[in-house]
Amino acid sequence: MCIFKAMQAVIDLKEIKRSFKNHFWQRKKTVLEGISFEIREGEVFGFLGPNGAGKTTTIKIITGLISPDSGSVRIFGMSPHSLRAKQRIGFLPESPYFYEHLTGYEFLKIHAVLSNLKMHKERTCTLLERVGLKEAMHVQLRSYSRGMLQRIGIAQAMIGSPDLLILDEPLTGLDPIGRKEIKDLILEEKNRGTTIFFSSHILPDAEAVCDRIGIVIDGRIKEIGEMSTLLSKGLSADRITLEDWFVDQVKATTEKNGTIQ
Amino acid sequence: MHRVLAIFENTFKEALRQRILALLGVFALLLIVVSVFLEPFALGEASKLMRDFGLAVTSLFGVLTTIIIGSALIHRDIEKRTIYTVLSKPVRRGEIVLGKYLGLGVLVALLVLAMLLIHQLIIVVQEGTFELSLLLVFPFALLEVSVILGILLLFSSFSSSTMTSIMGVIFYVAGHAMPDLKLFAESTRVEALKHIAYAFYYLLPNLSNFNFRTDLAYNIPLAADQVIFSVCYGILYTLFLLYVTTLVFEHREFK
Repeated sequence: MCIFKAMQAVIDLKEIKRSFKNHFWQRKKTVLEGISFEIREGEVFGFLGPNGAGKTTTIKIITGLISPDSGSVRIFGMSPHSLRAKQRIGFLPESPYFYEHLTGYEFLKIHAVLSNLKMHKERTCTLLERVGLKEAMHVQLRSYSRGMLQRIGIAQAMIGSPDLLILDEPLTGLDPIGRKEIKDLILEEKNRGTTIFFSSHILPDAEAVCDRIGIVIDGRIKEIGEMSTLLSKGLSADRITLEDWFVDQVKATTEKNGTIQ
Repeated sequence: MHRVLAIFENTFKEALRQRILALLGVFALLLIVVSVFLEPFALGEASKLMRDFGLAVTSLFGVLTTIIIGSALIHRDIEKRTIYTVLSKPVRRGEIVLGKYLGLGVLVALLVLAMLLIHQLIIVVQEGTFELSLLLVFPFALLEVSVILGILLLFSSFSSSTMTSIMGVIFYVAGHAMPDLKLFAESTRVEALKHIAYAFYYLLPNLSNFNFRTDLAYNIPLAADQVIFSVCYGILYTLFLLYVTTLVFEHREFK
């Protein structure tokens, strides 16, 4: 069951807390209330939760875009701000907008150079072919469809052949074909041994690709474990979204406690 | 350095392909051409007026391009989250600041140079001779643009693009009013005002240090010490602004 135990922790979060205030006169709103988990080498980890649960904030902390108020974050045993850690990470943000006047080729080439690749032209062309954008490589990104943008986004995340891929809602807003293409890319990377951390709020997607999932609700980890274990706890594919499951959980809790919501 | 060059290339191409740039270019060209028709208002100084007006338009074009494109330089990347993919790569934030500065700086330099060459062409057509000494305005126009770009980068690293544009215009206007501010500081009898005026005079960028247009248009020789001072002032002030921008940007969080 715990084949990953002996492996190195790729991501190690301990008691992460983070709060924000939108304006200086407003009170701080707590977004993360002590999140802890480990991601091990070679696994695909689905980070699931409803909107506003704290998924993107957690990802921003992992990628060093923001710092936690308290707790510790280690990526490959290093600080997320370290350039050595970043050399091993590929990141696709949620609903990304790219430099729209650049062509797909120019965009990827710049990210290849930023990833310190020496053979960046070859790598760029290979990757464009792999994500099915070779024909559109000289078209400006403003003419790309949503699915094409998501694929070029994943390509920029994969450009440095990272050991860890972090994908924030990579399947949101895509049509079924687009979703299938992205899931296939994730599975290809999984087969290459890349550790993948991806967030989503759609359970069947996670089921298709994940070894383990963690469920975050209101800034706390509600459940974490291997897919099979969690499925046996009551999550199932016929309950299409996490929201359905979450509503069930709330109802079950209120019935059990005899409280009225 | 290759990472700075990658950011430079990205910024240069993005800025070059913006439609607003073409509009600004056409507008500036029209103004230079208009300078030919100012003769009736020139009171016998048509040639000098055409030179002065052309140089002023060229310089203003450089500043306008810098403010319009530069004000959104970092802020738009943050707002649209394009900066996230760049920041997740093994790149220092200072390299991003420097790459962006160079990208727009080089673009504006090329545009200003092109405008000066067009101005020369108009002089040749009008008078049948080149006036190459006017090209000396180029390094000073660049220094002015360099300082303004530094100010825009600093503000765009922590505020909105609208606020950055406003600050760009304010600093441009205030920067050219520095000699008046100094006069005020020297003449006022209120001690507190004198100190405040001097503080602003020494802190804010004095863009009038880069204005040799009238001297060049009227063939007045430039004083060597003044030129050396202006060059050193422009370079040091730009370096200071880039350093502060890097410090601010390094501590910036992307919520």
